[in-house]
Amino acid sequence: MNPSLEAIGERLATYLTECWGHTQTLTLIEQIPGGASRETYRVRLCGADGEQGLILRRDPTSSLIDTERALEYQTYVAVYPTEIPVPEPLVLEEDPQHLERPFSVMREIAGCNSAVADLALPPYVGVRGRIGEIKWTLLGKLATLDIDTLGITSFMETPTHPAAHELDYWAGVIDADSLHPEPVAQAAIRWLKKNLPDPSGNLALVHGDYRSGNFLYTETGDIKGILDWEMAHIGDPLEDLAWSLDPLWAWPERTLAGGLIPRVDAIAIWEQVSGYRVDPQAFRWWQIFASLKGLAIWISSTENFTNGTTKEPILAVAGWLMTDRHNRILVDRLSPNSAHLYAEPVL
Amino acid sequence: MITTPGKALGDLAMKLALSIAPETSSAYAMANTGMIAVLLQALGQDSERAVANRLADIVEIKALFTAEGVPNTTARETFLHREPQSLRLSDVMTHHAEGLNLLIELHAWAEANNPKLDQSIWSFLLNHTERDKFDW
Repeated sequence: MNPSLEAIGERLATYLTECWGHTQTLTLIEQIPGGASRETYRVRLCGADGEQGLILRRDPTSSLIDTERALEYQTYVAVYPTEIPVPEPLVLEEDPQHLERPFSVMREIAGCNSAVADLALPPYVGVRGRIGEIKWTLLGKLATLDIDTLGITSFMETPTHPAAHELDYWAGVIDADSLHPEPVAQAAIRWLKKNLPDPSGNLALVHGDYRSGNFLYTETGDIKGILDWEMAHIGDPLEDLAWSLDPLWAWPERTLAGGLIPRVDAIAIWEQVSGYRVDPQAFRWWQIFASLKGLAIWISSTENFTNGTTKEPILAVAGWLMTDRHNRILVDRLSPNSAHLYAEPVL
Repeated sequence: MITTPGKALGDLAMKLALSIAPETSSAYAMANTGMIAVLLQALGQDSERAVANRLADIVEIKALFTAEGVPNTTARETFLHREPQSLRLSDVMTHHAEGLNLLIELHAWAEANNPKLDQSIWSFLLNHTERDKFDW
């Protein structure tokens, strides 16, 4: 084991021994790549009941997405008893004295993959249609969950105008974090403000980052866990649908939404399961918003990489290459003379 | 001296991705090595073209500022007669930022007052993003 990782694992084992009241012995710890908002580790501990796999998520010193760890953890707690599969949340510790920074622990869902690139390769390519059907079925189910029954209204704001609320937030991120003028983002913000849809009246738990790469899938085409709820909030369910269909998640292929199934099929599944009809005008707004939100995250990660203390390569990749792609997608979507090279005409 | 730094960075990226990354001992190290290889590739492309691209943007922005129907402002007028302090990328970026800020202001005006100019600015934004795109 890497000595610095082992030290983290040993301290976690000590902490959980105190927490759970029986001895936990570290047998493995490894860092999982791609944890852009939290440092993520796979940990194995041996205790009286045998060995168990855990996922440790520790706050980084600098993050791609500025999020509230407590909100994310409470969302896992709220969603865990529902039909939406998520890892079992076990511990949230906000006191930095134990692992230098706040952290949470979840039970590992073993035997799964989450890599986007692998969806196009054997053995997964043969079952990606099934994965796609399940992915948008689960998203449809998420839209039907009652926010009061879930209990999320106790720790999440309930916006009166979800579209305006989200736009204000992400436009603010762009204004705060841009290191160079962003003419495409500013044009998109003006368009979104001018074309703001009326509130649909449909309020749901919005995952906030529902895309390929954020769920655990198996070789048999099942989805065992939806991950990365750090941007979860109460909002319009069309927001998640639009985000899930953003061209970036299928780049550069674009024929299959999220690299899985045709976008019309994804929308049809979502409509059937959620019981909602997609209003084309409102959906156009949410799709353009989705690309702007993506751009805002990449602009923010550029700022984090440049001025922050963590020099994680993923921040630079996101800040440099993803900014380029979402700029192109937004020009494609908003330009009056678009040749639609990067984004399909909306609906 | 390496006379083709862009190509050199691209070659190093390939070395890192194809020879070094597979030799790393953890998935975390391999993934990060791969990402750094991608960034080297991007840096290689940008080292070759960054100044030229920003200068091309500046030329096109200035053309938009002198287009028919564009009202004169002191800031735009001043920008039209100014050049970057040098061809160092940092100086070119400062001048580029000044031009883009003025362009953002003009674009907002054009959306309400001059549809033809609005269209021309979108054509510029298309050129601007295509010029800066990364291919790998």
